[in-house]
Amino acid sequence: MKKTFLKKVVISGLVLSLALTLTACGTTNQASTASGSSTQAASNYPTKPITVLQGFSAGGGSDQLAQMTEPYLQKILGQTFVNQYIPGATGAIAWTQLARQTKSDGYTISITNTPMLMTNYLMSSDIKYNIDQLTPIANVLTDPGILVVSKDSPFKTYQDFTNYAIAHPGQLTIGNSGTGGDDFFSILQWQKATGLSLKQIPFQGDGPSWQAAAGDKVQASSTNLGVVYSQVKAGNLRALALYADKRSDLLPDVPTLKELGVDMVAGSSRGYSAPKGIPDAVKKKLEDAFAQMAKDPAFQKGLHDAALPADIKIGDDYAKYLKDQETTFKSIWDSVKEQVAAQKK
Amino acid sequence: MNNLMMGLLNVVSPFNLLAVAAGTALGLFVGAMPGLSATMAIALLLPVTFGMDPATGISMLAALYMGAMYGGSISAILIRTPGTPAAAATVMDGYPMAQQGRAGKALGVSLTASLIGGVLSSIALLTIAPLLGKAALSFGPVELFAIAVLGMTIIGSLSSGSPIKGILSGVAGLLIAMIGMDPISGVPRFTFGTMYLFNGVSYVVALIGLFSIPQALRLVEKDDGSQKAALIKDRMLPTWKELKSMIVTILRSSVIGIFTGLIPGTGGDTACWFGYNEAKRFSKEKEKFGTGYPEGVAASEAANNAVVGGALVPTITLGIPGSSATAILLGGLMVHGIMPGPTLMTDHAQITYTLIWAVMLSNIFMFLEGLVFTRAAVSVTKVPNKVLAPIIVILCVIGSFTINNSINDVFVMIGFGILGYFMDKLDIPTAPMVVGMILGMMLDNTMRQSLLMSSGKWSIFLSSPLSTILLIIALLSLLQSTPIFAWLKKALFKKNAPQLGGK
Repeated sequence: MKKTFLKKVVISGLVLSLALTLTACGTTNQASTASGSSTQAASNYPTKPITVLQGFSAGGGSDQLAQMTEPYLQKILGQTFVNQYIPGATGAIAWTQLARQTKSDGYTISITNTPMLMTNYLMSSDIKYNIDQLTPIANVLTDPGILVVSKDSPFKTYQDFTNYAIAHPGQLTIGNSGTGGDDFFSILQWQKATGLSLKQIPFQGDGPSWQAAAGDKVQASSTNLGVVYSQVKAGNLRALALYADKRSDLLPDVPTLKELGVDMVAGSSRGYSAPKGIPDAVKKKLEDAFAQMAKDPAFQKGLHDAALPADIKIGDDYAKYLKDQETTFKSIWDSVKEQVAAQKK
Repeated sequence: MNNLMMGLLNVVSPFNLLAVAAGTALGLFVGAMPGLSATMAIALLLPVTFGMDPATGISMLAALYMGAMYGGSISAILIRTPGTPAAAATVMDGYPMAQQGRAGKALGVSLTASLIGGVLSSIALLTIAPLLGKAALSFGPVELFAIAVLGMTIIGSLSSGSPIKGILSGVAGLLIAMIGMDPISGVPRFTFGTMYLFNGVSYVVALIGLFSIPQALRLVEKDDGSQKAALIKDRMLPTWKELKSMIVTILRSSVIGIFTGLIPGTGGDTACWFGYNEAKRFSKEKEKFGTGYPEGVAASEAANNAVVGGALVPTITLGIPGSSATAILLGGLMVHGIMPGPTLMTDHAQITYTLIWAVMLSNIFMFLEGLVFTRAAVSVTKVPNKVLAPIIVILCVIGSFTINNSINDVFVMIGFGILGYFMDKLDIPTAPMVVGMILGMMLDNTMRQSLLMSSGKWSIFLSSPLSTILLIIALLSLLQSTPIFAWLKKALFKKNAPQLGGK
């Protein structure tokens, strides 16, 4: 008797867990396949939850943006947001789905990160989407690039750093967050602007890159302000230069590259985009929601506390920004493509 | 000290206790389900904790991590399918024990070893975290390469019977790890033009297929109604005498686990193999490993639970995740508006110390809940094979899908399942393939980073004392299994017999 009871308990437990998991999977899928894009539906948009495709795992930079923005957007639009994580190929799997397999009804949008959004397809012909297949809605933040060295580094200033690079062309090791990432391109951009050359060491992500610099495994790391701000503040890393238009009020002592005579601005931006061809009314509604959110002091404080500089660009501004970036990255990549290919051999 | 007490007071508030207990229970359950891993469960539960107080939410996730590390051994022992990748090494001796009718004992040993490993790592976390945390920074590409090389020698001890077959399996695993975007040049390798292979083949997905699908097929093939073994006739927990005989192994594995956790990029998935390998290396009864030897179970289980505290050390002291699961925890903190970094121990000390105490407490919950849960779980083996097998397959499908929400991963899992089935028929061990896949990516990436840094000079691998020592240990491990070593040992042993005898 007792045995059959236990058996039942275990089996029903298994069945229950199956059912729960399946429902959990089902709800997210339902939202993405749901249809209904007529002009009438567009006017009272949104009438059902909005699915947000994330090209990266839960807890990453994309998710951080989602959790910081979606509570405000939900309040403004009166609908919930459903995050769907589709990590893989530096976001390309999610963005390909957005550009090519998603209904243009505004119920499926995605968090779009630069420069990966463009460099993915610029660098690999196997990736088949491009930004012309998207409707950029709004950029939310831009995390500027920053040059850091370990606290024990002989490089006390940016000048020390360049002097060494001049004396040892191609020898100074600098970590980036991965080939094709924002830091990889920032360093290329810097090399082009200064005519100097460094030895790039690609890591898998920003973390390993700055950690290698902090542990004196590489001589410097090019990373992002939001990533290393707390480390710089705690004195584990020294910041030499910020790749922003103007100094950050978080680290007011760190000069910008522009001040130092290098005319470049670089970083990684995160925003939201929809597939191409969403109804104008829906586009307007989404853009207005972002504009309204940007004015909310609570939202601004949240970004500031996380050391993430707001960089609101709505609609066509965002589209133009992406297009300009695409041109910049394409020219940088074209000029180094042969070089990288040669290095590989 | 003040923060320390504050954290303790915080954690014993009824709601936090409930969260820790619930997290541990959930971890046990998720861990025991083949295909659902701790990392995945934390990722799935993370959005739920966004609505909670940060200390409560993160404590719950850490408790889940701890629970899952033991939970994984339940299915590893009972049905030969590791519930989490970190329990893969537990299969080696756990399942043979179950087959011999000692399932209860195997689970008891696993639970006790998990408890000791977990408690030791929590103590390390509570006391010497700041000291240990700095060590995480001393692991750069060069040192990580040496660790990967040392890890590869584990294949030797997993290929009992035919070394050639073991090497074949390990090398195949290494080759599979090469699939995907080349981390240095950014050029896709062996992807056949599909971007689904850009990130390579996930070893978690492959492991689900390699271990679980062949087992499901085996269950159907020899369907004799139900398995006869697995009854808890004997007492579950090891006796004092039994415990004493394996305490050295448990302590060694705990230290290995803490350090493996500490090193960024390695976690329980690696630690269980290291723990198992070292236990076998130091054992006087090497030949008993793999035949249902309780020490084998203890070695791997103490190691994977010790990882939890170890991995949290750099996470809280420096903001560097020590394993993939703690990386998600860190992401969770970030979403709560808490910046990961050195400020965790100062500005956010209250949250951090609550977390540390929660980890400590989760060990106790794990032990108590584990006792109850395990007794219930043993009855799984009384489920007829023809019912159990399809359930395993369904869980594998769900598990491999949930990792990346990708149907392609399901196909990859099934592909590896079929491969595993035939490897099984040909007596080729699947464990070396998994080790090859886990370490292959790290081996490839760190070797090329190091060579880039040294402009192609191989001497860089001997430039750091840490990597030199690790590489020497690796070399010794290799020699150990050749006739040269036996001869050397004999020669030395004869000379120093009196001293060695005293040990």
